Amino acid sequence: MITRERRILSGKGRFIDDLELPSMVHCVFIGSPYAHARIRKMDVSKALKNPGVLTVITGEELRQHTAPLPATSDFSGRPGWHWRAPEIYPLAVGKVRFHGEPVAAIVAETPRQALEAAGGIEIEYDPLPPVMDAVSAMEKNGPLVYEEWGDNVQLHTVFNFGDVERAFREADRVLKFPWHENRTSGFPLEARGCLSMYEPMTETLHTWGSYQCPFRAQHYISHVLRLPQTSVRVTASDIGGGFGNKINIWKYTVVCLAAMLTGRPVKWHESTREFFLTGPHQRDVVWDSEVAIKNDGRVLGIKARFIQDLGVEISNRDYSAPSIQAACSSVPNAYRLQGLKVEAYGIVTNKSFYGAYRGFGKDKGAKFMERIMDLVSRECNLNPAELRLKNFIQPQEFPYKQISGLVYDSGNYPAVLQEALKAAEVDSWKAKQEELRKEGKHIGIGMAFVVEPAGIAAPNARFSGLVQARVRVTPDGLVEIYSDRTEIGQGAEMTNTLVVSQILGAKPEDIVVKPVTSDIIGMGPISSRGAVYSVSALARAAKGLKEIIVKYASAFFKDRPENIRLENGAIYSSKNPENRLTYKELADRMYFRPGARGLPQEMQLNHETLLDVSASWFSPNSAENPTSTYTTFSSSADIAVVEVDTETGATRILKYVHVHDAGKIISREIVDGQIYGGIVQGIGEALSEELIYNEQGELSSGSYADFVMPTAVDAPDIVIKHLETPSPYTELGTKGMGESPIIGSKAVIISAIEDALSPFHILITEAPATREKVRRWIRHSTAG
Amino acid sequence: MEVEPQETFLDVLKNRLKIKSVHRGCEEGECGACTVLLNGRPVCSCLILSPQVDGGEVLTLEGLNQNGEFHPLLTAFMENYAIQCGYCTPGMVMTAYYLLHHLTDFSDESIRKGLEGNLCRCTGYINILKAIKAAKKEKDSGCWW
Repeated sequence: MITRERRILSGKGRFIDDLELPSMVHCVFIGSPYAHARIRKMDVSKALKNPGVLTVITGEELRQHTAPLPATSDFSGRPGWHWRAPEIYPLAVGKVRFHGEPVAAIVAETPRQALEAAGGIEIEYDPLPPVMDAVSAMEKNGPLVYEEWGDNVQLHTVFNFGDVERAFREADRVLKFPWHENRTSGFPLEARGCLSMYEPMTETLHTWGSYQCPFRAQHYISHVLRLPQTSVRVTASDIGGGFGNKINIWKYTVVCLAAMLTGRPVKWHESTREFFLTGPHQRDVVWDSEVAIKNDGRVLGIKARFIQDLGVEISNRDYSAPSIQAACSSVPNAYRLQGLKVEAYGIVTNKSFYGAYRGFGKDKGAKFMERIMDLVSRECNLNPAELRLKNFIQPQEFPYKQISGLVYDSGNYPAVLQEALKAAEVDSWKAKQEELRKEGKHIGIGMAFVVEPAGIAAPNARFSGLVQARVRVTPDGLVEIYSDRTEIGQGAEMTNTLVVSQILGAKPEDIVVKPVTSDIIGMGPISSRGAVYSVSALARAAKGLKEIIVKYASAFFKDRPENIRLENGAIYSSKNPENRLTYKELADRMYFRPGARGLPQEMQLNHETLLDVSASWFSPNSAENPTSTYTTFSSSADIAVVEVDTETGATRILKYVHVHDAGKIISREIVDGQIYGGIVQGIGEALSEELIYNEQGELSSGSYADFVMPTAVDAPDIVIKHLETPSPYTELGTKGMGESPIIGSKAVIISAIEDALSPFHILITEAPATREKVRRWIRHSTAG
Repeated sequence: MEVEPQETFLDVLKNRLKIKSVHRGCEEGECGACTVLLNGRPVCSCLILSPQVDGGEVLTLEGLNQNGEFHPLLTAFMENYAIQCGYCTPGMVMTAYYLLHHLTDFSDESIRKGLEGNLCRCTGYINILKAIKAAKKEKDSGCWW
């Protein structure tokens, strides 16, 4: 079958903007100009009279027709957790709580008519003082995002892993380290959107669009619209990038409602500006910490306070509440930490909601720890590589039960780091650094090591780890793959095809990866779980199908099962190769000629008559170790050399090396593509990306002009090397790896800049390291 | 055809002519997803009002597909894994096509500068660069049209 890439290059893409149905109409959202305000009055009667307008939906209509947005995680009742979720709707009811929050949806014959009708919506707001900073939002007697809460704390708990008191008792020194990550997110080039239609014949609400997780979307939509889940069918169209930013589908529910109310197909394709204003925001965490160390560089324990700026909430619009746990439990990273105690807060503010973005939560602890490694390296006067080698979990210790409760499956961290050091030629760069310093030029060498937990199955959070895969040979001999692994550009279709091709011996061009729909149970491509859950289930289904094929061929050729080979689109006997069937011939016989010389009696009596197998898979790691919500743990080392221009504050990357161990690799090219893309995203986070709200609470960086993402000029050459330590848990030994590149890269660039500026004795405690900030740090430094 | 004065060139391409390859991005001329060649030069079709296009010549990705055959530049993109989600791809390819015909300096630095107006969030640009250099080799050896 024609591959997706070939189709797109032929101009036959099926992105949401390309989808069309007869009598289709368009939906447009109108947003609040205020960050925080009461809606005193809303009158849409004028807008309704505008030409082409079918309906205008407001929060009040939603209250009548729909259920409030569900809390997708529920930590109430969990001991030691303070947790609550607000009652909210996709359109504001009574109050607006962030700049751009949708207040109405206009449905009209054309998008232009919908936009023109916006002027006919009369809203009167009573502005309220906005809460724009998480730390000050914790103060008493300040403005409240949700008055009924009495404060702005959505989540509070203390994570206490291992024995932190002992760690601090045994410490030689205690270092302090604060660290603040910028607010940013993915913003793939295609914003969100869907086309929804109610089909009365089958009483089904159909929706196609940029849905990263169709099965979960089906559940969410059915809940909100109060329909049985069986009446909703979600299909992913071509998706122009996800990175986790299209797991949230709260705005899509309004489009679905519009389809039901108008009886017409309704299309919505978000503008990029709206995506920035109302999209899932991420990162934006503040750590305050004390680090207990020995003089020889062993890091014994960490005590920290952690504050996550959730914007309006982390509970309803997306599936992100567990990210706080992921952030805190990822702190130990690759090391043998004895104790960790984190007092964690999730604070609400008047900004867009906290969502999912590549890394989700496990990125934060790892970056924080790598910054600490840099600090310890300097304070103890230890080579950063030797420091890590000293603290590493050793290869013979796997599976390793980390103090966080996660059981790390396998790895060889020293080998990965040594490979990176070799490839980066660190010693010669260090010599160059000395020389250049004499000329007043500043280059720096940075290092970061990251363990990426992948494949989440967490309780109470709609990430239950369920997955289904189905493989079917059609009567005309093609192989169909049904998977939950939505293609978002990560190469799901290509790698799914390779897995099935390798097991069944079918030719890749005879394999059809069907569009992902809610018909297949599964969490979708999140948490790098494609290579963990989806691929494992797919491999099981393909192996199950292979068994049936082998049984049939063995009976048909009158040969032993051990002699049956599946290769290159054919099934043959290795003993008598002239005994051969193509997939087409096999399918024709198995489907249509089950008489004499047809299906063997044993297969008929065992009801094994179909070339169609569905299978599931669950993580043995999470099953055997209930605290191990993640299944596989890939590892990577990043080494970067940068030059910092102390006049302009600009950072230029001179060398970038990334060594990766992602277990068994299905496709090197696909993995490398993920690495290149993730690293460049991380570089953007390290150097320039920031979602900035002004004092009035307006998002001032709401377009690509102000939110500076890396261009081709900013992306460095990247040297990649691979090691493969298979996972003992997954069906093929594969590990999820899609998120580690974005984690190590951000840390390594900050590390390299700090090293470049070491003559100025600057400790970098925040990102991004913009030019302006670098100049400011130099100006305020005590040396130079 | 008749157009409204406020319709952009992008609107005409997508809504009237149903050209699927042209992608709607930021609609502010920042991302390059809507890039096409107008009279041989790459433009952000979202920034051009449709009356300005009157009488002009347009080349889109569809034009690099002839009789079901890929232009060598498209083959280079495929073979070098330069496509991930595919949203930036048509715009990127049109800019690349222009660069291949107009750059005099084919150093990495020069090609990267030429691509500066086309954002990609998935690939990190590295395989796109590889694809363009591979296409240049094809062009130099005469396998081109």
